[in-house]
Amino acid sequence: MNVIEVSNLRRVYNANVGAIRRSHKEIVAVDGISFHIEGGELFGLLGPNGAGKTTTVKMLTTMLIPTDGSIRILGLDVVRDAKKLRSRIGFIYGGERGLYWRLSGIDNLRYFGSLYHLDPQATRKRIPELLEMVGLSERGEEKVEGYSRGMKQRLHVARALLHDPEVLFLDEPTLGLDPVGARDLRTIIRNLQAENKTILLTTHYMLEADALCQRIAVINKGKIVAEGSPAELKSIVSDLSVIEVEVFGSVDDFLPTLRAQSFVDALSIENREQKQVLLIQSPAGAEAVSPLLGLLAGVRVGKVIVREPTLEDAYIRLVEEDV
Amino acid sequence: MFRTLNTNIRIFLQGAYLSYVALFAWIQPAHYLATKVMGPFFYMIFFVLMGAYISGRNDASFYVIGNAMQAAALSGIYGVSMSIDGDRWGGTLIYLFGTPANRLALFLGRAFMHLLDGILGVIIGLVWGVLIFKLDLSQTNFLALALVITTTVFSTAGMGLMLGCLGLITRNVMLVNNTIFFLLLVFSGANVEVSSLPAWAQTISSMVPLTRGIAAARLVIDGQSLAMVWPLLQGEFLVGVIYAAIGFLMFRQFEIIAIRRGTLEAF
Amino acid sequence: MSDLSNLRANLRVIFSAAEMALRSNLTDGFVFFGIVIQPTIIALLAFWMLRDQGNDAIIYVVIGSGMTGLWTMALFISGQAISGERWTGTLEMLVATPTPLYIVVIGKTLANVLQSLVAMVATYALAGLVFGVLPRILRPGMFTLSLFFAVISYISFGLIISPLFVLNPQVRRLQNGLEFPVYILGGFFFPIALLPGWTTPLSYILPPYWAARALHGASSGGAVSDILFAIGMMILFILIYGMITARLFQRILYKARVEATLVRQ
Repeated sequence: MNVIEVSNLRRVYNANVGAIRRSHKEIVAVDGISFHIEGGELFGLLGPNGAGKTTTVKMLTTMLIPTDGSIRILGLDVVRDAKKLRSRIGFIYGGERGLYWRLSGIDNLRYFGSLYHLDPQATRKRIPELLEMVGLSERGEEKVEGYSRGMKQRLHVARALLHDPEVLFLDEPTLGLDPVGARDLRTIIRNLQAENKTILLTTHYMLEADALCQRIAVINKGKIVAEGSPAELKSIVSDLSVIEVEVFGSVDDFLPTLRAQSFVDALSIENREQKQVLLIQSPAGAEAVSPLLGLLAGVRVGKVIVREPTLEDAYIRLVEEDV
Repeated sequence: MFRTLNTNIRIFLQGAYLSYVALFAWIQPAHYLATKVMGPFFYMIFFVLMGAYISGRNDASFYVIGNAMQAAALSGIYGVSMSIDGDRWGGTLIYLFGTPANRLALFLGRAFMHLLDGILGVIIGLVWGVLIFKLDLSQTNFLALALVITTTVFSTAGMGLMLGCLGLITRNVMLVNNTIFFLLLVFSGANVEVSSLPAWAQTISSMVPLTRGIAAARLVIDGQSLAMVWPLLQGEFLVGVIYAAIGFLMFRQFEIIAIRRGTLEAF
Repeated sequence: MSDLSNLRANLRVIFSAAEMALRSNLTDGFVFFGIVIQPTIIALLAFWMLRDQGNDAIIYVVIGSGMTGLWTMALFISGQAISGERWTGTLEMLVATPTPLYIVVIGKTLANVLQSLVAMVATYALAGLVFGVLPRILRPGMFTLSLFFAVISYISFGLIISPLFVLNPQVRRLQNGLEFPVYILGGFFFPIALLPGWTTPLSYILPPYWAARALHGASSGGAVSDILFAIGMMILFILIYGMITARLFQRILYKARVEATLVRQ
């Protein structure tokens, strides 16, 4: 059964541009997307910054009214039945805001417990369980202002779970966390799925989506450019190989020529310390290496590797094609 | 020698310019004007009527002059202290300390524009006094009055420098500023005759800026000569110098301690 | 959920929102200034002005200073009840709960108004300190009744001003400029008869004016009919404001979801 159904969803922002001669400009943040999520599924919305992920989540969580299209969650319409829906969903938005910093973690939860009209006795019992689950048992009495970013994020998870919602929306939950903090949070998310909650997760980390999600939609510039299981998405690039070429110094002048070659399907650059790495997706595999190096004459080249594509390569290809 | 002087003058002028730009960055010009013009209007009406009704004293000019002069403290205290603390909010203080700039030039440059602003504030207050409460300026020696106003604004700015530096150490600058501003309303004699205060309060009055300036302004507007109020002006000026000097010493001390402890960015 | 348990749950929210607001205001320097420092300094000034006047005037000053504390807090803290949540990013979290937003704002303004009464208590104590005797309240019964309705009318003011500040940033800009005019028009420290006649209607539409009139009257033994009339006017404004507030809250919440202004980046 579909718990979430999104069809032809669109959202346009009006922005005022210019300080002196003000003119209105319409910015299309989400441009007619459709998808659905089944009960108990962990669904990933993957895309670069500014792709429309947060806008989509805000509409899903009733905080923003769509310009066009419709969303039904648990059979309820997000605009018309917003009130009924709110007590059945939970959400966290990335970042440190949205908590009362001057209060302790426990006080924050207790307050939200009363806002959710939970029974005070039940809340008192539930708070330690939730703190235990997100690993904050020891620090619950402390003021939130002293929490690290990861702790705040985990407190948000506890807050979102207070009223035991059936559906959870997690917008960039690991954004800005250190590797350990991000790993802890991913463990929590996995445990939540084991409790059979329906979860929508947005992220721009490929590995995270690959590791957690059953299905992924890649969103770019407000449109869904691909949808499927991680394996299905990887198959987009399965006929290709990836050639990694370490280069030193600027290669910007070479890029147009490289992109024009028939054996180059997609090209991107990664910065790694003092060197750059050209990532070239090519159907020719190892055979493309020598013509490639020929074209890079005059550039100092380091290690060259030919490898199998990953989900990240599929993502790069999807997002790049649209540029 | 001349080059150093030139550099210092440049630092001074840039400081003056930048602190004013910063002021306008967080207040919109229209809003600033409204505060500057309408603020004193309501302030004055409130204190004049309250004074007249509660004390039964039928002498509006006493309160008008007192509260117009009090406007000097608005720029002197809030403007100057915020132009020093503003650096820390913006996180730019650490970069300032990293430069070889002459600290005194830097310091005074920040206060300068607020001096002009304060003088304007007092004039606006007096104009309201003339318009609403028919303040009589027919006997006034305007040159002497200008000197009184400038000196008073200077002395409040001296206090502002000190409060700004205090703000670098304490967490809550605005609380300190607000409290001092309101205490001045009482102790400077703007609204009660200093001579009618209890003895301990009179001691405080003698140690704060504004007290002598307000007394001098009342005398000059009443038709007294510059020579008559000269001693008061000297006193007012000296008070300003003392506060500024304390402020400057605190500023240097803060710099040394902050760099040693690495608390420059700590709030 | 039945109506009764819904009501119970909402009452619980009011108390926990009030408790929360009190706890975070406790460490707020600005609140301390508004309810203790500013009113006591103004009162001290007024007491020293009073010297030669009769002792009846002392209670007048105490009430007046207390009113300044109530007004300043209503304007700055209650006015911020919603926009403050927007700045901290908690507004979305509040809206997402089944509790109506106005219930939360009632709780927060209740705390603000109650804590502002500290201003009156502090100036009352100061009067004792300066003059050696505590001033007497001549009609304690009437005074209690007036104070009760004054508290409610300040809450209703907080309820109307906080959505206005969200709806219209221009109004918020007036915030600083509204402090002293109401001190004047409210007749906190002097009768509005001292003001030009055309300002009188302005005073009449301000609940703080009627609150000050009732409290001044009750404390210095004014006519009971006049006190009751002032209380009646407060009740009228509470009703009018209540009706407008209900519409305002609906509007801001819908508007914010259309214009994406529930949160300030």
